[in-house]
Amino acid sequence: MPEKGMIKATDLFERVVHWMLAGSCILLFITGLGMMFRELNFIGNFMGGLVGLKYVHNFTGIFFIVSLVLAARMWWREAGKFEFPDDIEWIKQAGGYLWRVDHVAEAGKYNAGQKMFFLTVVGCGALMGVSGLIMWFPMGLPMGLVRWMYPLHAFGFVVLFAFFFVHLYLGTIGSPGSLPAMLDGWVTRAWAKTQHPKWLKEMEAAGKLEVYGEEKKEAVSH
Amino acid sequence: MMSTSEVIKLIDTTRCTACRGCQVACKQWNELPGLRTKNRGSYQNPPDLGWNTWTLIRFQEYVNEKGTFKWLFRKDGCMHCTDAGCVKVCPSGALYHTEYGTVGIKKDLCIGCKECTAACPFEIPRYNRRTDKMTKCDLCLTRLQANQQPACVKSCPTGALSIGPKDKMLTAAYDRVKVLGGDANVYGDKFLGGTHVLYVLSEKPEVYDKLPKSPSIPLSVTVWKDWLKPLTWIAGGGVIAGSLLHYILHGPKRPYPEVDQGDHAERGK
Repeated sequence: MPEKGMIKATDLFERVVHWMLAGSCILLFITGLGMMFRELNFIGNFMGGLVGLKYVHNFTGIFFIVSLVLAARMWWREAGKFEFPDDIEWIKQAGGYLWRVDHVAEAGKYNAGQKMFFLTVVGCGALMGVSGLIMWFPMGLPMGLVRWMYPLHAFGFVVLFAFFFVHLYLGTIGSPGSLPAMLDGWVTRAWAKTQHPKWLKEMEAAGKLEVYGEEKKEAVSH
Repeated sequence: MMSTSEVIKLIDTTRCTACRGCQVACKQWNELPGLRTKNRGSYQNPPDLGWNTWTLIRFQEYVNEKGTFKWLFRKDGCMHCTDAGCVKVCPSGALYHTEYGTVGIKKDLCIGCKECTAACPFEIPRYNRRTDKMTKCDLCLTRLQANQQPACVKSCPTGALSIGPKDKMLTAAYDRVKVLGGDANVYGDKFLGGTHVLYVLSEKPEVYDKLPKSPSIPLSVTVWKDWLKPLTWIAGGGVIAGSLLHYILHGPKRPYPEVDQGDHAERGK
């Protein structure tokens, strides 16, 4: 439950799209692994056999593509473009994650690390969508093209799989106070000031900041 | 006739008259329907291999450098590789090596993912949309197991097709090439670990339609299965280990307490 003085970091739509993307991504990981490794074929047992698993994977893929389009449209403005010099500064400091930094570079709603994560997810996600659809419907396309969709799909998976664990760590125990941003959307002022000082300042200056217990000033929507 | 050691089916193209008895016998034994096709001005019919056509005589009009016309007949179909790309990529184990060294297909395990299509250097496995499964020649495995010749071999009236133990068939192929002389050559024993279908060709391999000169498992399959697949655990495991190390050695990044205090002071105003 939010306490008085907490700050609204995300709206409902943002959180719903995030979990659509996350949920479909995890299901795709699990079912994909079930096909990639013979030892993991048993995962299909929960889906009416490996054929069922294939269809769960394929149709979850459609859901993933829809979620990805929504996420890309929604976050592009805030996370799709790097800002100089703040983002370079942030990268040089590794965001204060690896060594103690007195003043972490000013970060907006999303810091340079989150932007890199976002762009990787959009890029690799699009790659997964396109290669996956061609793998599903290869008929009529030149074999030389179809052949390379499989390693591309595997490449995108390896990148997303690794990034997933980075994201999981930094969204939970690696950065305490972050998780609520994607649960009920309320974060502490201290967390916002540490992680996204520029965003906090800008929102306050614009009078758009939503503070729990205070009268809502202006609705922000996507 | 057939022991349980490796076998080779020899296709002597120089003895083939393109009667297509093997095509019919294959369809009959494997209960594959004939589908209506169009006359394209060629005896080659159907035009290509398909889910219902596991073997096909390819008709080719060829004029050599001396200006001599030759009609080339080649029985196309699964080569039953030792290093089989299809077996390597099959996620369910539906494609496998039999006790004869040939590549069998367990229909009930096939999930119709079509991965084998992209892994085969000969483009042999075909997809049946209705059953959502892949199909291809299994060299009449059940007939081999019952000490019978494959249907195509059984039907061949000219002796172009024969089957037997690996060593014996290899010797027979090279003996035949010696007799033929000229450009005649044995195709199949020099790549993919040796195939279990062997050709005696009268011309160089590159002359024939749809016959790769030196087939190999596609590079895409090597990148996919030998490089990227093991990288899954290295990348995923590395990140998990790195995260845990970060947590233990450096500790998580918490909101700065001084910010918190400053905040309280601000709010206290």
